[in-house]
Amino acid sequence: MSNKPFLGILPSTWVYGILIALTFVTYSIGEEGLGGLELSLLVLGIAIIKGHLVGAYFMGLGKLRGPWRWPVSVWLIIPGGLIATAFIFSN
Amino acid sequence: MTQAVDALDPDQGTFDPDQANRYPPGDLAIWIFILAELLVFAVFFGAYAFTRMDNVELFNEFQLHLDRQAALINTLALITSSYFVVRAVSAIKQNHSAACTRWLIAAMGMGAVFLAVKTGEYSHHIEQGINLSTNTFYMFYLSLTFFHYMHVIMGMVILAAVAIKAKKGGYTAQEHTGVETGASYWHMVDLVWLILFPLVYVMR
Repeated sequence: MSNKPFLGILPSTWVYGILIALTFVTYSIGEEGLGGLELSLLVLGIAIIKGHLVGAYFMGLGKLRGPWRWPVSVWLIIPGGLIATAFIFSN
Repeated sequence: MTQAVDALDPDQGTFDPDQANRYPPGDLAIWIFILAELLVFAVFFGAYAFTRMDNVELFNEFQLHLDRQAALINTLALITSSYFVVRAVSAIKQNHSAACTRWLIAAMGMGAVFLAVKTGEYSHHIEQGINLSTNTFYMFYLSLTFFHYMHVIMGMVILAAVAIKAKKGGYTAQEHTGVETGASYWHMVDLVWLILFPLVYVMR
């Protein structure tokens, strides 16, 4: 995980921009009233990516060595897996 | 000492991975609390998803009645507030107490936007006579979002306490565990909403 500014912009600022952009993608899918398993899993995947970015860059876990690097990533897999399983079996 | 402080600041170009801490930022106790909270929300999310399996049409129908625009504003508000908290931590690591305080106040401002919008949503539901007993979807929607709403309030109280101490010069570049502790809790509140928003408002 690089912590150096890229194009003169801090990593956390890049991450903030990505989070905002991904939020608008999710909102657009919802606003179009689109549904179905594939889109639901796409939206869930976007949420997990966003969660990973928050954990790694905002919470500062991405720079750690050892077990404390992983709790947020593991947590994202737990509800993510439960939600994905439930949506797969309900379609 | 300054070099060591810089090494732990993710926004400083001098970051040295060899000096990276093995423990998360802030008090370790808050991380035990955060993990417990995340576990509770994971159970809540799983319960929502598995209950939906037997009520897909009901969930899909009433999900359309929710205000997605309000949810978008709230998501943007929480992400922005989290970013402001990151800047507050960066500021105190450079010994800028006044800047740290300003970023924390800005973060609380975004938190207040979240609470105002969510309160507006709840008022609208109350006017429509919607409550926990209306149907299974609203039972989950109201309880999940209100549980999170309470966490936002709790987070704002913590940020306020940290901001007051920062304003009094209670933190320095060398000792700012309190700022990182409050920041970690606030990021957890943001993290939970990042799953809650698509699950309740979008996925169908």
